[in-house]
Amino acid sequence: MRSLIDFIVVNKHWFVFILLETLSLCLLFKMNNYQGSAYFSTANSVVGFVNETTSGVTSFFGLKSRNHRLEAENEMLREELLALKSKVHSSKRHSRYYNAIGAEIINASLHRGNNLMTINKGSANGVNTEMGVVCSSGVVGIVSLVSKHYAVVMPLTNIKSMVSCRLANSDYFGTLQWKMGNIEEAVVIGVPRHADVKVGEVVETNGFSDIFPAGIPIGKVVKIEDSDDGLAYVLTVKLSTNFSNLRDVSVITNYRHVERRELEQKADSLQNTEL
Amino acid sequence: MSYESLTRLGRMLLMLAIQLMILNNIHLFGYATPLAMGYMILCFRCSASRISLVVWGFLTGLIFDLFSNTMGLGAASMTLMGFVQPQILSSFMPKDETDKFRPTLRTMGLMNYILYAMSLLFILHFTFYFLEAFSLLNFLLTLGAIFIGTLVATLLCVLIELIANERKSE
Repeated sequence: MRSLIDFIVVNKHWFVFILLETLSLCLLFKMNNYQGSAYFSTANSVVGFVNETTSGVTSFFGLKSRNHRLEAENEMLREELLALKSKVHSSKRHSRYYNAIGAEIINASLHRGNNLMTINKGSANGVNTEMGVVCSSGVVGIVSLVSKHYAVVMPLTNIKSMVSCRLANSDYFGTLQWKMGNIEEAVVIGVPRHADVKVGEVVETNGFSDIFPAGIPIGKVVKIEDSDDGLAYVLTVKLSTNFSNLRDVSVITNYRHVERRELEQKADSLQNTEL
Repeated sequence: MSYESLTRLGRMLLMLAIQLMILNNIHLFGYATPLAMGYMILCFRCSASRISLVVWGFLTGLIFDLFSNTMGLGAASMTLMGFVQPQILSSFMPKDETDKFRPTLRTMGLMNYILYAMSLLFILHFTFYFLEAFSLLNFLLTLGAIFIGTLVATLLCVLIELIANERKSE
C-alpha cells in the first residue's frame, strides 16, 4: 500500500498529464465535428457489422406484414393505371380528327391593316383553305389562299380576321377581332355583360368552327370595357403569339371538316326551301 | 502568488497576444501557421515542478483554442509539450549546471538553444497539425506545415530571446 502511494506521489505529474491530455482530447472530439466523425466512423465499422447481422435475422419476422402492405399498394397502383389508361384513350379519340402539318413562314407583313403571311406548304402537302395555323405559343391565323406549294395565311392581326373564342375559366364565348395598330393586342367582342371576366384571364379557341381544336391559347385579358350599346363587354387581349419573330408554325387539318360543311350547307338549303 | 508565477503569467499573456493577434493571421504558403506561444514553455527553468509545466501548458493552449476556434487542439499539444520539456532541456543543457538553471540564449549558447527550441517546437507543431488533420491524407501538406511552422517559430523565439537579452544587458 505504501509503495503504491509512493508510486503515485513520485509519478503524480504523469497523472496530471494524462488527465489534462484526456480532457483536451475530449474537447477536441466533442467540439469539432471532423475529428469526431472520423473517430466514430472507424469505431462504427464493428457496430455496423453487428447491426447488419441482427437486422438480417429480425427482418424475417416482419415479412408477412410487409407483404400485405405491398399487395395493398399494388392494388392501388393497378387501379390508378386503369384510370389513367382510359383517360389517355379518350383524349386520343377526341383529337383523332385533327392532324398537324409543319410549315415555315417565308413572307409576312406586320404593320398594315391587311396583314398576310405566306407559308411554304400548299395543297400538295395537304393544306387547304379554312385550316387553322398555330405555333407553340398559341393561335396564328387561318389559311385563306392555297396554291400547289404555298399558302397565304390570314393572321389574327388582320382587320378581316374573326376567330371564335372563349374565356378559359367560364366558357363564355365571343369573337376575336383585330383593330389596326398594335400587333400585340386584339379585342374580343360579344362577351355578355353577366359573364364574370377578370383581368389576366386566358382567352382560348372554343372549337365550334372545327378550324381549331378547343383550348388553344389566344391571349390574356388586359382591359375590360363596355361596348357602345352597353350590352356586351369589349375585352382587350394581349396575344400570346409574338407575330414579329414568328417562324415555325403548324397547319391544323381536320378531315371531317368537308363532311361537316356539306351537312351544314344542306341544312341551310333546307331552311331556305321551307321559307 | 510568487514572483515566478507572476512572470510566467505575464509571459503567457504576452505570448498569447502575439500569437492570437499577429501569428494566427499568418498562413505561410497557405497552410503553415507558426505557434510561437510555445516560447512560454521554453522559458521554464530546470527542475520546475512538472505538474506546473503541464498545467501552464494546458491553460495556454486552452486560451489559444478559445480564441481561434480549435477547441482542444492547442490544449492537447501544449500539454504534451509541457510534459516533455524537462527531458529535452536536460539533454541540451550544460552538464555541470545546478537546479536553478534557466534556459536562455545566453546560458545555453546559440547552437544549443536553437536545437532545444526546435525540438520542443517540433513536438508542438507535430501534435497540433496531426491532430488537426487527423489522418494521413495530405500527408506531405501536413508535414510541410509542421516543418515550416517549426522553423519560423524557432526563429521567432530566438528573436524574442535576443530582444530580452538586449534589455537585460542595458
